[in-house]
Amino acid sequence: MVVLQALVTLLLWQTASNGLIPPPGKVANAFLHLLSTRLLIDNLLVSLLLTIKAMLLSILITLLIAYLSVIPFFKGIAQFIVKCRYLTLTGLIFIFTLLTKDGSQLKLSLLIFGIVPFFTCSFLAVIFNIDKQEFELCKTLGYNNWQTLYEVIIVGKADQAFEILRQNFAISWLMITMVEGLNMSEGGIGALMIKYNKYNDLTNVLALQLVIFLVGLLFDYLLGSIRLWLFPHTKLQIQVS
Amino acid sequence: MTAYIKKQVLLKAEHVQLNYGDNVILRDINFEIKDIIRPGMQQGQVVSLIGRSGMGKTQLFKLLSGLQVPTAGNICIQDNQPVKAGDMGVIFQNYYLFEWRTVYQSLLLAAKQNLQLKGKEKENIEAYAERFQLTEQLKQYPQQLSGGQRQRASIIQQLLKGSDFLLLDEPFSGLDVCVLDKVVELLLEVSVTDEFKTLIIVSHDIPACVAISDTIFILGREAGKPGATIVKEIDLIERGLAWQKEVRYLPAFADTVEEIKACL
Repeated sequence: MVVLQALVTLLLWQTASNGLIPPPGKVANAFLHLLSTRLLIDNLLVSLLLTIKAMLLSILITLLIAYLSVIPFFKGIAQFIVKCRYLTLTGLIFIFTLLTKDGSQLKLSLLIFGIVPFFTCSFLAVIFNIDKQEFELCKTLGYNNWQTLYEVIIVGKADQAFEILRQNFAISWLMITMVEGLNMSEGGIGALMIKYNKYNDLTNVLALQLVIFLVGLLFDYLLGSIRLWLFPHTKLQIQVS
Repeated sequence: MTAYIKKQVLLKAEHVQLNYGDNVILRDINFEIKDIIRPGMQQGQVVSLIGRSGMGKTQLFKLLSGLQVPTAGNICIQDNQPVKAGDMGVIFQNYYLFEWRTVYQSLLLAAKQNLQLKGKEKENIEAYAERFQLTEQLKQYPQQLSGGQRQRASIIQQLLKGSDFLLLDEPFSGLDVCVLDKVVELLLEVSVTDEFKTLIIVSHDIPACVAISDTIFILGREAGKPGATIVKEIDLIERGLAWQKEVRYLPAFADTVEEIKACL
């Protein structure tokens, strides 16, 4: 079925190509050529390292905010951060440029600023939806507040924190091409794409899009598999549902 | 009649009241649970609180477990200390367990809360698991357990925690006849594990409660007064209905069930 759907899509793409949009065969050739060059691997590594760095820092910041949100003083702060999803990065670039030392820091800060509200939003939803009985069971076992926080929120929701990381990888991967365009000296697939766009090299742009898409899918699969390995009970939940 | 004496007070509820705003849920609840001593044997206590649905049984359950504080009055246990969360072993109606922990891990967490088991947690878990036929399930997650296995795991968890009191919310709910007998058997087994072990069952299943308990408290309403209160206490030992395996076949059993029904 999937193969058939892919074939139909390719056929439609082929027939819709009218000189402006490159046909799939041409894009496939450009894709294979890109794969064989060091240019792609180097730029891809730059982007991946930056994304992973931003993701790890973002999840740490998110977890800190989320865990603190159970204390009334921090609840409002956490909710404000969630609302920051509606801020556009474009209007803040100048401020971030003033606040950071170099292009590398600028890109990292922008990515973290972009990712954290989405992470926080998802993780707060997890915390707010915790079954009251989980806390009651801790109380009946004689746990103090810290033990309860550790068992129910930190250990008990670690699998969901990982799932949020997986789901939000797409957001980080989406933003990477944008922030890399702000400082092109360090390269990255975003910088490479802007370069191809500048020369109207649509074939390579689409080939690069294909690379970005496939890397995204690969990471989604990898993170999903790691989650099942780290938290075996999630496998059972999937089977039950 | 079996020889027995009732000695020290293990739990005392005095003038307990629970209001939600102006709405009185529970009013002037008074009862005592005393240690029953039977010569030559280790006999715990099994007490049932029976009431119709919507009578405030769950609220009373929460007050007894210390998860909720009464609006007025107090519930005291050993040394006249007000009950607080963690003092009682609590078995929720749906036998809630940490879904992210294996049965063994959950039991270990509970055992670690019991200072008397320090250094002997593993042996105690294994001993209880064997006694309650749960050895094969120790490495499994709660999602992999049947209802009965979950119930046993919950009971062991609270027993390992070391409380003398075990509070059970509707333990007979939704069970078929065969399983019900097994649960009754299991609870009776738990009740004789220690002289001070006290099971408090909150339920609306009258025959099951009469079959298992030594004392019944009936939660009901009094005409013209708001909220539910204890309207009657029935001593099943005096009636020769306690600690009898074939109790359901005794004429006094049916009479007692009818008597309780009439009070609700």
